[in-house]
Amino acid sequence: MNILTKKFTIIRAHKYFHDLLKGLFIFGILISAFSCSKNPIRESNVTPPVTPPDSLSNGVFVVNEGNFNWGNASVSFINFSNNTVDPDLFRPENHRSLGDVAQSMNISGRKGYIVVNNSNAVEIVSLKDFSSIKSLSGFNSPRDIAFINADKAYVTNLLGDITVVSLRTMEVKSVIKTANWTEGMVSFGNMMFVSAIGKYTDPNSSRSAKVFVINTLTDQIIDSIKTGKEPLGMVIDKKEKVWVLCTGGYDHVEAPSLIRIDPLLLEVEKTFTFTETQNIPSRLCINGTGDTLYFIRDGIFQMPVTAATLPSQAVIPSQGRLFYGLGINPANGNIFVSDAVDYVQNGWVYQFNSANGQLLHSYQVGRIPGSFCFPNSSTKK
Amino acid sequence: MTHNRVVLLFFLLVCSQTIFAQSLKDTLNLAGFEVKSNFLVQNPGFKKVRIDSSLLIPQINADLSTILAQHSTIFIKSYGNGSLAQPSLRGTTANHTQVEWNGIDINSPMLGTMDLSQAPVSQFDNVEILYGPAGISQSSGAFGGIVNLVTNPDWNNKENILFSQTAASFSTYTTTAGVGVGNQNVQSVTKINYGSSANNFPYYDDLTNTTEKLTNAQYSMGGISEEAFFRFSNKYFVTARIWYSENDSKIPSLSPLNYSSQYDRALRSMIEGKLLGNKNILSFRTALVDQFMRFTDGSTPADSVYKHQVYSWTNRIKWAYSGIRNLSIKPGLDLNYDWVISDSYDARKTRNTIGIFSEFVYDLQKKIDFTFVIRQDVIDGKFLPLIPGLGIEYKPFTKIDLSLNANVSVNHRYPSLNDLYWSPYGNPDLQPETDYATEISLTYSFLDQRHVFFLEAMLTGYYSQMQDLIQWSPVSGNSSVWRPENVSEVLARGLEVGLNLWWEVWKGRISFDNNYSFCRSTSEKAQSPNDASVGKQLIYIPVHSLNSTLSLKRNEFYLSYNFLFVSKRYIGTDNETYMPGYSISNIIFGKNIHVKKFVLSLQLQINNLLNLDYQSIVNRPMPGRNYAVTLKFNFINQRPD
Repeated sequence: MNILTKKFTIIRAHKYFHDLLKGLFIFGILISAFSCSKNPIRESNVTPPVTPPDSLSNGVFVVNEGNFNWGNASVSFINFSNNTVDPDLFRPENHRSLGDVAQSMNISGRKGYIVVNNSNAVEIVSLKDFSSIKSLSGFNSPRDIAFINADKAYVTNLLGDITVVSLRTMEVKSVIKTANWTEGMVSFGNMMFVSAIGKYTDPNSSRSAKVFVINTLTDQIIDSIKTGKEPLGMVIDKKEKVWVLCTGGYDHVEAPSLIRIDPLLLEVEKTFTFTETQNIPSRLCINGTGDTLYFIRDGIFQMPVTAATLPSQAVIPSQGRLFYGLGINPANGNIFVSDAVDYVQNGWVYQFNSANGQLLHSYQVGRIPGSFCFPNSSTKK
Repeated sequence: MTHNRVVLLFFLLVCSQTIFAQSLKDTLNLAGFEVKSNFLVQNPGFKKVRIDSSLLIPQINADLSTILAQHSTIFIKSYGNGSLAQPSLRGTTANHTQVEWNGIDINSPMLGTMDLSQAPVSQFDNVEILYGPAGISQSSGAFGGIVNLVTNPDWNNKENILFSQTAASFSTYTTTAGVGVGNQNVQSVTKINYGSSANNFPYYDDLTNTTEKLTNAQYSMGGISEEAFFRFSNKYFVTARIWYSENDSKIPSLSPLNYSSQYDRALRSMIEGKLLGNKNILSFRTALVDQFMRFTDGSTPADSVYKHQVYSWTNRIKWAYSGIRNLSIKPGLDLNYDWVISDSYDARKTRNTIGIFSEFVYDLQKKIDFTFVIRQDVIDGKFLPLIPGLGIEYKPFTKIDLSLNANVSVNHRYPSLNDLYWSPYGNPDLQPETDYATEISLTYSFLDQRHVFFLEAMLTGYYSQMQDLIQWSPVSGNSSVWRPENVSEVLARGLEVGLNLWWEVWKGRISFDNNYSFCRSTSEKAQSPNDASVGKQLIYIPVHSLNSTLSLKRNEFYLSYNFLFVSKRYIGTDNETYMPGYSISNIIFGKNIHVKKFVLSLQLQINNLLNLDYQSIVNRPMPGRNYAVTLKFNFINQRPD
């Protein structure tokens, strides 16, 4: 092959491939344009969003955790006036996801505070239309928020410490060092009782569980009270006794227990121990009048605060349903319980009459409904 | 010429400094290609497909997950470049697809799955896929099928040296090298691969509505393999292989608590032998697989580290006898032993498996062949139910290459070690899963008389009913306790279409390879009163998927255009939420320069040509348009045929 023909071949080959390349580009563009839209490929809903209710005052917010790492947390609203559900308040209003794993919600003034655990954020929303006011960051895997006064709130964290938040400036103000996984909170006078599971990275067997007592004026830990393993739920009753539900450990290190603390003497005055270790109780709640405790243990159990023993019979048996979150309407004592089904589909909420256990309504809500927030009271869970 | 000597010198220099390796894939087998079909049968009636090795050659820098996604009907659930990639074959989950290396199971016995991103293309020559029931001749439990990574000797090779270097977007570098030497009786092949990436591609963050760079996504991987092939008088074959690999990858997450990482190390070694007689073939092999995994959970301040060490010893002896008229019998015995020490188990766990199996192939009048396969596995002394399969192949014409294959089978899968022993909720009382499956295939191929045009087509329909599938779900209303149970039922049915053709025209060659899959895989049993999943498509399994590759070769130029379409994948078992479907185009353009026995190749690759902003898995960003440049040297000294 002489040099001329060689050159010629190369030129021809270039032209040939140039044309082919052009053709392929057009082919590719056509086929892609035909087969899908140019919009980013993101999670979508089959059922379009519904028009939000006019008012978010007469009903209950259902905090849907969403799946871990999927970023699909949401808040549903059950409207009591017509028993309809708005499955997702946040995304249609703010055009973005609420984040990853919404743990709890609480209300102060006209603002809602949603604790979004794996996004490490507290999302502050207007209760008028659920528009985001601020996405507050600076936490350590946050779990729960409790208000001290109109300007101060505490946020508990899975990976240690309690975050002090200024509500006026909407900034993290300081940190109360605990090195513990802190969870539930109950305020009494100038004290905040905070349940602490132990160091998150330690196994349950070596964790020392307790309730921290914090002076809310100085933000100092003034005392701690030893409890059973994994003290996850806390409430205060009408006689101003603090109740703590201890699971005994997810891995059954010890028997679950329900303990009663005298917040003046700062000591445990009564311990109720569950007999069967394998069946773990969860989601301690109290009604609006502060006289009856509720928790889930397969079914839903009811226990007067004056009871001498643990209840033996579920007021609402599970009947194969997977009860997950629990809330008591403070206005009328009705029981709200959620069913996360298989955790990969829309969950359900049931409303029961607390007096006779009768099912009043059921509602389809978002993915993994975990906790409740009633607008007319800050009592929750 | 001078230039090439310099190149060789440089190459040898580098060689001598680092013991390195590579795949010895011949880039330019343009002349004298053999005509071979990619649509095969494992045994009459049972479907087996080979991914054409010419499709692997330009993808020497890729991993198995890319190859399967672009060139097979297997759907790959990928968390992104260098991250976990798992196969879904025929609507099944990853633990129903067994990945093998030259016939040796390399799935983790703990998980029952394999991360396909950890198998670099440079370490194997061919990929074979045994679909669904075809797997029972190899092992139990592969309801979806078996993906076998194959390496073969080239007995005509004298010396072959290869070095390839890729530089790609996001600081991604891939180096492969290899040396093959030998004669017609002994061949030695050494391969080395190393790759690393910052993987810090920009993505659109839906939460903040800003463009961010992905963090904590960097990875590095390396491997070395040595294979020695021996043959004596075409009757005795012995192969020894060893493959060591390491992977170190960060695990990206859009959560701010995002520092997790994973380190994997595997050493796989095997010796196999084959004795060919007139009517007998006796084969045996023994293999040791050592897998170590360390997961660092960075979501906690003091990182929690979990270590898992697995040793698997597998042995097989198999005899094939064709001395009886029209009948061949292939009985065999498997003896496997797994041994695990894991931070997630209470104590050391072991599993021993004895498998007795036989294949019977009966040839009726040259047109019809029957296969009967039967397998009995005994695991830790427990008899798994019997695994039978019956297949038929019918070739109605002598001059037209058309065949009809069909089969029925029952398969069982033993639980993974995690299902049994994960502390504290593993369930030692789990029962095997069951699959009732049937499939029918029509295969046609055509080669014109002048050998310039070839077409092959395959249409397959399958139907598979799976019962007692193991699923981790919360126990009796207590959300904090999850436990595996034999609760789920799945019905998978679908169609697979394969169409490949090539045409030698205009002094060049055009080839067109296509795979289409239609798959309906639905949940068939409610787990609780409110369960809305019954009759709904399983999550992350697309109903439609299509890939097409158009390749052109002429005058040492080559161009390959790959198109990939995946339809929407539901991400809720109630099918209320989904990820929209997407199409991705990738293009490879290159040129080879031949000088005597040297070949220099320069290649440009553009992935996600149209810069689609997509997520395959929810909340896992995928890179936009990205580029790779590859420079490859190959020295080939072949014995003339």
